[in-house]
Amino acid sequence: MSGTSITGEATEETLPAVVAGAHAAGAARRSQNRKPRTPIWAVVVLAVSVVYFLLPLYATAVFGFSTGKAFTLQPLFDGLGDDGFHSALILSLTYSIVTTVLALVVVAPTAYLVELRFPRLRAIVEFLTILPFVIPPIILAVGLSSVYGINSPVNLISSDWAPVLLYGGYFVLTLPFVFRAIDNALRAVDVRTLSEAAESLGANPTRTFLQVIVPSISLGLVSGALLAFTTAMGEFTLAALLGYPTFPVYLLNVNEYSPHVGKALVLVSFLITWAGVIALAAVARRTPGTRVVRGGPM
Amino acid sequence: MSRLELVNVCKSFGDQPAVSDFNLTVENGELVSFLGPSGCGKTTTLRITAGFEAPDSGAVIVDGIDVTDLTPNKRGMGMVFQGYALFPNMTAAENVEFGLAVRKRAPAERRARVAELLELFGLSHVAGSYPHHMSGGQQQRVALARAVAIEPGVLLLDEPLSAVDAKVREELRTEIRRMVTQLGITTILVTHDQSEALSISDRVVVMNRGAIEEVGTPGQIYAEPRSAFTAGFIGAMNEIPVRVVSGAQGVVERAGRRVTVQGAAGLADGEPALLLVRPELIEPLNAANGTLNGDLTLTGRVEVQTFLGATTRLLVREVRQGDENQSVLPSARRLAVDVPSAAAGNWPAGSEVAVRIPVGSSRVIADRSAVSPAPSTGSTTGPAAPPA
Repeated sequence: MSGTSITGEATEETLPAVVAGAHAAGAARRSQNRKPRTPIWAVVVLAVSVVYFLLPLYATAVFGFSTGKAFTLQPLFDGLGDDGFHSALILSLTYSIVTTVLALVVVAPTAYLVELRFPRLRAIVEFLTILPFVIPPIILAVGLSSVYGINSPVNLISSDWAPVLLYGGYFVLTLPFVFRAIDNALRAVDVRTLSEAAESLGANPTRTFLQVIVPSISLGLVSGALLAFTTAMGEFTLAALLGYPTFPVYLLNVNEYSPHVGKALVLVSFLITWAGVIALAAVARRTPGTRVVRGGPM
Repeated sequence: MSRLELVNVCKSFGDQPAVSDFNLTVENGELVSFLGPSGCGKTTTLRITAGFEAPDSGAVIVDGIDVTDLTPNKRGMGMVFQGYALFPNMTAAENVEFGLAVRKRAPAERRARVAELLELFGLSHVAGSYPHHMSGGQQQRVALARAVAIEPGVLLLDEPLSAVDAKVREELRTEIRRMVTQLGITTILVTHDQSEALSISDRVVVMNRGAIEEVGTPGQIYAEPRSAFTAGFIGAMNEIPVRVVSGAQGVVERAGRRVTVQGAAGLADGEPALLLVRPELIEPLNAANGTLNGDLTLTGRVEVQTFLGATTRLLVREVRQGDENQSVLPSARRLAVDVPSAAAGNWPAGSEVAVRIPVGSSRVIADRSAVSPAPSTGSTTGPAAPPA
């Protein structure tokens, strides 16, 4: 998941663009023998990569959709019908959604204020948002369970407030992605002038933020939200070490005692991830800065 | 419509003074331009008026009320920004409506006012369009409509036409003038474009290095500049060194000839001074027209012709003709003479020419050579006379 790069290209279809595009296509057809062909080695590399990626999935599918003897979808149905699966999925969804909302609500105004009023804090804020990359989740988990653990004066782990640790941990883990997405969106828009324009028309800072800024960075917010959600859904270490049966934790357990069912559910988990990535790519396509505009003057 | 007073406004960024001792009163319904080169403090002064910068000292007073400590959203001023700053997620109509919604006007009232304004600005057909689908001219009109919708006491325009094509610029500035007159809104326009300032302003404030250089009507600024900076900055101006013979009587002397000019009253006898005359007022003489009528003459050679459209500018290098015409014009100086392009063929490059400098249309100012800046180019008036 973290190795995925999102690039998107789309054409802006205005009338001049369509006409110019038609001309360009005609010109391309006429000069096709000058157009560079895709090199053979690129095709080979692509093929090898596809095989490398898909082969394990295929193997997983073959094993998952069988009982050791024949092809059957029964393990999938068993898995989906299991109560443990339901509760794990619901737990993960809960934590992921709450984390996502929390991250957006905290980061968006912060990034806005840094951009607008406190540019000198930018270096500190950026450093803080890079930190979670530097600290492996397992260190985070160990640290949390020491500081807030059984032997500590602030014993959260044994209390009803324990989930706060997981929310907090997930918030920290998703911080780099959410901040980067929102900050990029803010920088692509002239936040200062838009805010001043709104102010000159009588708006207070809250109205300016909610009615002018947020809609202008909506794609950044959605990108950040998707990244946060998929990260939290797939997070294993923190949940396992703090003892929460989230979906990834459940997946590991199921794979140990019910390998067929486990593999089938692994594929389900892939589907969730792919759905998130495809949604991200679709959003990125519509984001200014990644769009290629073909055609004449507007 | 409101009366705006800027009183002793000062602002520095670090130890760089951006605005010093700015004093100005703008009357109800007046359109005043702040004109000057980049860095002269005109935009800073505008932003202080709007409330986006706080002055180090001084006050902004609207209709007698000191608003210096009010945040921008409480000053009731409309502002149009250089890059329009239209809200990208809203249509033209929604942009115009924004200020009215903030003021909690009833929906029906808002819609009526928005429709009325879009009609006034010729935008009814793009009411439902988003900014990125509109041309620069349309976006600027929407920005104007949006600022005017809230019925501001003062309208502030920060270089509103600099991002727009030249042709559209002319149309739009006429529209701005018409709109300001029709709606009677007190307006401040910041621009570096002289023709913009001269064509639509009631008064022009010429600024230089954070201070007001001169304030006057466009006609006064152009024909009767009171400082060397203004003379050099507005259009093209020839500066001919002369020597004051009698300040009280307005007599100056050049190359042995004495003439009477205006503006010498404050100058000391014997002081070096500059005779200012616009290129279009200098006449080339032909052989049949040799009388001088109390004017100065100068002979030289046309070095180069510059085609400016309706007029052609001749750059004339003075040629000394014997001892009796000892010239005080440094040999490096050239005189700019504007002639109708249709007649420019009479004085091709390399030809000799004698010109008459009409002292009745000239002014004299003190020659403080250190103060005189390199004359800058007006956007449509072409190159100015080179510096001393």
